[in-house]
Amino acid sequence: MVGKTVTLTGNFAAGKAAEMAKPKVIAVYPITPQTDIIEYLSGLVSSGKLDARFITVESEHSALAACAGAAWSGVRTFTATSSQGLLYMGEWVFWSGYGRLPIIMPVVNRCLAPGWSIFVDLQDSMAFRDAGWIQIYTKNNQEVFDTVLQAFKIGESKDISLPVMPCLDGFVLSHTTAKVELPDPEEAYSFVGDYSDPVVEVDVDNPWAYGGLVGPEQFNIARRDLMKAMERAKEKIIKVNKEFEETFGRSYGNGLIEQYGDDDADLTLITMGTMGDEADEAIDQLKQEGYKVNGVRVRTFRPFPVEDIVRIAKKNRKLFVLDRAVSFGHEGPLRIEIEAVLKRHNLDIPISGDIVGLGGESVPFKRIMKIAKEALRS
Amino acid sequence: MIELLQISRGGSGGVTGAKILAEAALYEGVESQAIPKYGSERRGAAVEAYVRFDDKPIRIHSPVVEPDIAMVLDTSLIDRLDLSKIKQDGIIIINSKEIPEAFKGTNRKIAYVDATAISLNLGLVAGGFTLVNTTMLGAFAKATGLVSIENIIKGIEHTLNPRIAPKNVEATKKAFEETKVVIV
Repeated sequence: MVGKTVTLTGNFAAGKAAEMAKPKVIAVYPITPQTDIIEYLSGLVSSGKLDARFITVESEHSALAACAGAAWSGVRTFTATSSQGLLYMGEWVFWSGYGRLPIIMPVVNRCLAPGWSIFVDLQDSMAFRDAGWIQIYTKNNQEVFDTVLQAFKIGESKDISLPVMPCLDGFVLSHTTAKVELPDPEEAYSFVGDYSDPVVEVDVDNPWAYGGLVGPEQFNIARRDLMKAMERAKEKIIKVNKEFEETFGRSYGNGLIEQYGDDDADLTLITMGTMGDEADEAIDQLKQEGYKVNGVRVRTFRPFPVEDIVRIAKKNRKLFVLDRAVSFGHEGPLRIEIEAVLKRHNLDIPISGDIVGLGGESVPFKRIMKIAKEALRS
Repeated sequence: MIELLQISRGGSGGVTGAKILAEAALYEGVESQAIPKYGSERRGAAVEAYVRFDDKPIRIHSPVVEPDIAMVLDTSLIDRLDLSKIKQDGIIIINSKEIPEAFKGTNRKIAYVDATAISLNLGLVAGGFTLVNTTMLGAFAKATGLVSIENIIKGIEHTLNPRIAPKNVEATKKAFEETKVVIV
């Protein structure tokens, strides 16, 4: 078989990538706008096209608990969720991260209630910033496919062993149909490889305690190990991005961030998700009007690309952060991170930002252009 | 870039039609994107979908506001079109037996076809709704020339169940023949 070009929604792109990685256990609970991902996989399992155990559960809490149990037994494990479902998983999100269980879980970003809404903002996944998961945000359906495939290779590698959330904007990607280049399934599988050497693997012949009581000393060893694994994950993500390019001809910046536009700019727009794609359009239009603006799309929120932000801040004149979530009582989560990096590295560069696109509010490139022009004036 | 705004009634297949159009554009070698506008709409309510076509990758993800092409699948929804938002040199494609009075003298390019009659004749009815999505794609091909009728048919056969695809192909062909394109 060979690769082919198709049109797919973001959800089906995520489902196809999971299919090609051949997870052994899939445990899920449906929630809008994630539902198509699991409908697709459940169809594959029930028709015998995918050899996996598909566990239907009564809640998201059980879905991730079942995945955690499966991951402990050392098999490739997949689930997906959104919004309230992710919140309901909460306890197991932290348990999986701190337990170093490399579960792959696309989060189809949807805002949190109340008001009841099914549309995108990043409040759901941002709430799990500290849960020990790698988070990678995507800009289009092709990147959704590519990132889900990469996630298995990143998360499951023995020196990392961390769960990964590939994040995709609800509806904007999940339900929008666009062109996706699918690789040959065998080539895709061989890129991901077998999950043959798990860190944790329950062996009934060699019983061991998992998640047992520990004193402060062992506890701190485990937490510091996790900190180091997250640090190593940066190099791993860069490496996998490069290998992906060598194999399939596509890459996303250095894997951690993607930059757009000319170096000598008066303003640098920093964004995440589909807003980054839309910002690139704004940057091109602004250039035609004589404005010098460039862009940075933060792809990995965890681990945070500190070194890249330092490099960018040193080279540019003014930063402006567009956040699609809020840390109430402070600022947008992305802006908070960037300001912290600047402070720690004594970089005295003007930074401001705005919170936009909450609850599915559209952020068209014309609005980004207006925001950029105002930022240039102030 | 060329942008389409499509208005249909929930249940009449508009979202699927937009997907088929994106798929047909792929065969044409054109980059495309089909965005269904979800909300509290239910069956019978007016539903919008947007399709973009370009010769380079599409980076815009927000809804279409000022379309080059507007297509209305249900005659009773024609008055929802805001002419001031549709580009003056654009095309308006409607499911209608005749040119609506409101359009006359606007110097607009209008394509019209009685898609409901074509679909009803072929028995394209589901859940009480006449399915005019693929029928109107025939009108789209005729009016715009953006995607050939052959590729629309290929898109239908790719997307729909083989059991129902032939009738839809017939509907799209019939609409392609019957669509009239005029400047009003």
